[in-house]
Amino acid sequence: MAGLALLAVAGCGSGRTGGGGDGGLVIGTTDKIFSLDPAAAYDQGSYVPETQVYQHLMNFGPGKTEPEPDAAEKCGFGTPTVYTCTLKTGLKFANGNPLSATSVKYSFDRMLKINDPNGPASLLGNLDHTDAVDERTVAFTLKNGNDQTFPAILATQAGPIVDEKVFPADRVLDDDAVAEGKPFSGPYTITSYDKNKLVEYQENPDYAGLLGKPKTASVSTKYYASPDNLKLDIQNGAVDVAYRSLSPTDLESLRGNDNVTVHEGLGGELRYIVFNLNTMPGGTPEQKLAVRKAVAASVDRDALSTEVYKGTYTPAYSSVPQGFPGATEPFKDLYGAEPNKEQAAKFLADAGVAAPVELNLQYNPDHYGGSSSEEYAAIKSQLEATGLFRVNLQSTEWVTYQRERARDGYPVYQMGWFPDYPDPDDYLTPFFAPNNFLQNHFEDPAITAQLTAEVTQPDKDKRLAIIRQVQREMADKHISIVPLLSGKQIAITAKGVQGTESTLDPSTKFRYSVLSK
Amino acid sequence: MLLRYLAVRLLLIVPTAWILVTVVFFLMRVVGDPISAALGGRLPPDQIEARKEAAGLNRPVLSQYWDYLSGLVRGDFGRSTDNQAIGDIIANYGAATLELVFWALLVAFLVGVPLGRYAARRRDKAADVGLRLFGILVYAAPVFFVGLLLKLIFAVKLGWLPVAGRASTNVELALQHVSPKTNILTIDAILYGDNSYLLDVLKHAVLPAIALGLLTAGIFLRLVRINLIQTLRSDFVDAARARGLSERVVVGRHAFRNAMIPIVTVMGMQIAMMLGGAVLTEITFEWKGLGYQLAQYLQARDFVAVQGIVAFLALVVAVMSFLVDVVVALIDPRVRF
Repeated sequence: MAGLALLAVAGCGSGRTGGGGDGGLVIGTTDKIFSLDPAAAYDQGSYVPETQVYQHLMNFGPGKTEPEPDAAEKCGFGTPTVYTCTLKTGLKFANGNPLSATSVKYSFDRMLKINDPNGPASLLGNLDHTDAVDERTVAFTLKNGNDQTFPAILATQAGPIVDEKVFPADRVLDDDAVAEGKPFSGPYTITSYDKNKLVEYQENPDYAGLLGKPKTASVSTKYYASPDNLKLDIQNGAVDVAYRSLSPTDLESLRGNDNVTVHEGLGGELRYIVFNLNTMPGGTPEQKLAVRKAVAASVDRDALSTEVYKGTYTPAYSSVPQGFPGATEPFKDLYGAEPNKEQAAKFLADAGVAAPVELNLQYNPDHYGGSSSEEYAAIKSQLEATGLFRVNLQSTEWVTYQRERARDGYPVYQMGWFPDYPDPDDYLTPFFAPNNFLQNHFEDPAITAQLTAEVTQPDKDKRLAIIRQVQREMADKHISIVPLLSGKQIAITAKGVQGTESTLDPSTKFRYSVLSK
Repeated sequence: MLLRYLAVRLLLIVPTAWILVTVVFFLMRVVGDPISAALGGRLPPDQIEARKEAAGLNRPVLSQYWDYLSGLVRGDFGRSTDNQAIGDIIANYGAATLELVFWALLVAFLVGVPLGRYAARRRDKAADVGLRLFGILVYAAPVFFVGLLLKLIFAVKLGWLPVAGRASTNVELALQHVSPKTNILTIDAILYGDNSYLLDVLKHAVLPAIALGLLTAGIFLRLVRINLIQTLRSDFVDAARARGLSERVVVGRHAFRNAMIPIVTVMGMQIAMMLGGAVLTEITFEWKGLGYQLAQYLQARDFVAVQGIVAFLALVVAVMSFLVDVVVALIDPRVRF
């Protein structure tokens, strides 16, 4: 082989046998794709490729906070419970199949039917049924009228339109079959797919939606196992954009590098601990609640923010990040900004829980970034410092982690959240409604009723009052999650790369089509 | 006589491989079943039992062992938890590891053998002492540390070589279209016919090959040195000198060839060591081969995949040992008797 290589380098090679690789934009990430099938994935790592290749009826334009028609020509409420969209003419998938109203109906019916525990079907909780009225008209009938969020939900991970000739109606399609079937209608199509290693996108010439013609015809995503290598490659110019997730130390060092630019965008990313209400420690619901309250009173968010994340994340005392309308800080009000050992001990003692409580705490270092190891080591120390907990930490790779956490595999575990749409409801309904995406068995009729009331309340002030009330009640009476930190979206670009600022917007959709160099 | 020797050695592969895969199977069971190991204490015991039953892990170990062994005989290494055939994983990523080990062996030979020979000829002089120290250092230094050091110097500081990966993104994408595709990028780049692509692939191989190759180069250096020193003291070397042959001919044609026999003999063991080192090298350099996959599956706590890949690597070591025996028999007729 060495001899052959030397001969070839010396000029003996000839005759190409294939094409590709025209040197487009290269994006590096340490994130992972869980699934390319929209019915099975509800995570940022999967949504980034979905954003590029699937079209939605409604979408968020770069920098916009209100959804606008994408595959649709127009959408609107006919009656309070019926939302109707008319499709643009001549829409088709990259494989040539037509994209019609039946495709839209099929996509939503399929998502609800499969109801995958890792999928975003929970976002469609208010959708009763979908009708293809004619070739271009689709009508969504809602369970509760005046849904203030439904247009935005069409633009989320629950809304990609899929090809009924490629995706089976009742089961998830594996990624290679998706890539081969070319059921793409977004700004790009996938032309080469090596899962979580290298994915190539080429401009879809048939796309005529909201995002317009991509500024770069060819984009590739390179998946890294090590954030260190990603950092060195962006520094050396081997990749053009690094998006998720470099360590705070790396970011600090890159900020002083003239060859790259660190961009920060509005994000509202949330990092939090989830409790599986069935498998977490505690013999009775009251004891379990006491354990959760004791955890809430024992964690030191400030220390996590400053010591682990060097200020790149700020302490979060509610699931709704500060800055969103209606955001409050009930965890600070109820459990204090500092760890309170006496209060935590009292919660346990009052409920008859013997200390130390053994907590099997699971976290993930690849999807949520390498600093998760430090973050959860710090949480372990904080909890154990109270003498009330004995924490067994365990980490798992993302694809397995995502599957297991939805199968009751982890009693207490790390999660993170990127909003689907820029509205405080997106920090409440997906977490606390029945069949919520956390799959942690939390369901409470009073909270469900308040969430329904909040979503369907047209009066803004009344709606925000309900949002504040839900935050307070969740922190006081339920605590199915303990919010820890919130942060911004961060991307690093090499010299000459443009467009990043416009996609680091509140929609948290990372659109390749606006990037160029 | 040679044929009989080779036939016996070939037949010995079967029990060797059987012992290796059996050890792998039972070692994996020593830590408990995969489901308890991953989810013990996290799921209630009844759910753990239900999952074990669904995966067939609550059957007697011997019954599982029989299924595992009969699967291996059919070439079935099992399926990962994400439902990929381990055989496909080996086929897809084995070539990358093979390529890395090839380049690393080349580095080990090119560095270890000439330096060992040089050290032997300058026994106890400064150069010899320096080279012996170098041999110990490169053997003792962890692969990931050497890799990191090489990256910082040659990729970051000097910018001569790439940081990680098997090729630049555009090259890797282009080579996916080569037909027939071997997944050995050096060969695929030759087939593609663009020398700049080949150069790119070779540049990406330099640092990982050096990081992994130096580990073995240290051993080769010390072995060649010591064997050559001993051979140079032999009667047949004295006889050659007495016949008036030049020192160059004595060392090069007579002593050195004999000194190489032990090197070839330990090569089998070195390949096993390199496959182990390849795991760390592949992680350090994002070289997406079997070692990299193995690390991913370990992180995912996918015991079936880990067991399948480790069993395959064990089989490779068994086959390589046989090939080494063949080469030794060809070089040194004495071992055939």
